[in-house]
Amino acid sequence: MRFTIFQESRKGSRRINQDRIAYTYGRDTLLMVVADGMGGHAGGEIAAQICVRLFVERFQQEAKPILRNPLKFLQDTMLRAHAALGSYANQFSMLETPRTTCVAVVVQAGFAHWAHVGDSRFYLFRQGTLIGSTKDHSKVQYLVDQGIIGAHDVAQHPDRNKIFSCLGGLVDPVIDLSKRTPLRNGDVMVLCTDGLWSVLPQHEIAHWLTSQPVLKAAPAMMREAEKRGGPDGDNLSLICVRWGPETLTDEPSTTITETMGLGEFETQIDRTITLTDRKGQQRDLTDDEIERAISEIQSTIQKYRK
Amino acid sequence: MPVTNQALPGGYQLLNYRIDRQISRGGFSIVYRAFDDTGSPVAIKEYLPSSLVLRTEGDVVRASSAENLTSFRYGMKCFFEEGRALAKINHPNVVRVLNFFRANETVYMVMRYERGRTLQQQIQMRQDQMSERFVRHVFMHLLNGLREVHTHKLLHLDIKPANIYLRTDGSPVLLDFGAARQTLTNTRPKLAPMYTPGFAAPEQYRDPDRLGPWTDVYGVGASMFACLAAFAPQAADARVQEDHLVSAKKIWAGQYSDNLLEVVDWCLRLDPLERPQSVFALQKAIRDIPPKKRKLSILGNIKRVLFSEIRA
Repeated sequence: MRFTIFQESRKGSRRINQDRIAYTYGRDTLLMVVADGMGGHAGGEIAAQICVRLFVERFQQEAKPILRNPLKFLQDTMLRAHAALGSYANQFSMLETPRTTCVAVVVQAGFAHWAHVGDSRFYLFRQGTLIGSTKDHSKVQYLVDQGIIGAHDVAQHPDRNKIFSCLGGLVDPVIDLSKRTPLRNGDVMVLCTDGLWSVLPQHEIAHWLTSQPVLKAAPAMMREAEKRGGPDGDNLSLICVRWGPETLTDEPSTTITETMGLGEFETQIDRTITLTDRKGQQRDLTDDEIERAISEIQSTIQKYRK
Repeated sequence: MPVTNQALPGGYQLLNYRIDRQISRGGFSIVYRAFDDTGSPVAIKEYLPSSLVLRTEGDVVRASSAENLTSFRYGMKCFFEEGRALAKINHPNVVRVLNFFRANETVYMVMRYERGRTLQQQIQMRQDQMSERFVRHVFMHLLNGLREVHTHKLLHLDIKPANIYLRTDGSPVLLDFGAARQTLTNTRPKLAPMYTPGFAAPEQYRDPDRLGPWTDVYGVGASMFACLAAFAPQAADARVQEDHLVSAKKIWAGQYSDNLLEVVDWCLRLDPLERPQSVFALQKAIRDIPPKKRKLSILGNIKRVLFSEIRA
């Protein structure tokens, strides 16, 4: 797999950041996940954190070396995260279960699969045109669908923050699953929280990402969005991927996974927890991993023997 | 007295290979000549980092402390990366990996054994000036191999005449990827980097975050310089302090084409950004300007033909 990836989460003007983001990839499969812990409820950031961690951990357990069924994985993990939040609240006798939105994407074998709960979004752009996206589980989206309000009323609507599906809620979450969508080189995938999409319209995001390399456009988008958010700006988070070799620059920014060992993962979880994660990455190889690496190299040698 | 790792003795049976003798010893490994069960020679590289003393007798490798075991296993990861990348490269100018296995509590990489000598030996043996034709021939082919290496997102990082092997038919092979590092992942190399003074680029000493194809390009330039001079250029760390390197164009003016000398100087720029940024760019620079006389005569011919047509 070849891709260029960027992720960042910012506090905006809030006191704490309740967004959590992460991506992890093995040689042949990539997971990205964004969760927006719900303010106004106890421990939104805890909910988001539990959700993201669960996704990463389960992914690394199940992707051996790829997920058997990515859509089922996405659905199961959402449900497990929902259950985990319930038991967390129980364990600590919390009055209310911590809640979070979640959007997660798996790319493997050239196909993208995504699932979401709540109003964190996924966009898939091809040559600047939106060819796939999530539809918010929100009250305003429902009103738009019913034709009660227009799309341009959404940003100002008093109920724009109300969502009817989340992880950790009283009722089981509504989980939307995508189709299995083939990717082409140059396709751009975007995962973001409402802090970003509410101030940067979709066409602007498309423009930024088609006119500049990801590693230049994405940080600039974050800066711009934070500026537009102003003194009331929400937390904002973004994961951006350009699939295939980077076409707009010659910079060695493309991640290439072909020389990774089977069963190896690279993981980036947003900064607050990356520090503790790094130590884990430096652990030495186990006997099992050595055996696997060797048999893999041997089979590569066989394959490339002329 | 410093303790060193003991090499496997001649005649030692390692799986289905019989060790003949030690060929070379690097910071992370020992290379042996051995024979496989059909009696053909192979080169076997044994992972054995010299910074961690691990075998003072016998054959089995043992770490002297728990901490060393961790470093040892960690370094093994790099050895695997080298194996993985090389396994995919099947190019006539890059050393070919034939097998990879585990024994004696360490790992081994079996490579095709090449007959010939290193460019280093060639430089030391030569009687008179190396011909431009020879230098161009060796480096054009070598760059094809290096380009293939970079395509797999691997950097060699130790290009020098001692690592360029000349087969008996004159074709070069790029050897010893012991310093090679994968650059595609986010993780930075953690083991102490190795470099050879004179051939290592300045960023290898001070700025490991800026390693790139241009770092190998410096090594190529330094190796070309060594072909002309029979000695290595001034070490890059010293050059950064006080640059005494005289440009190739000044030293060998008139003896080699301006194009070749300019390329050598270009590769040896201290600022990574001022060097050719890719092997392709370098190849283009070397290839683009054929010897001047011929070009002029062709142009002259065209002119003559054109004028004669106009007159007619």
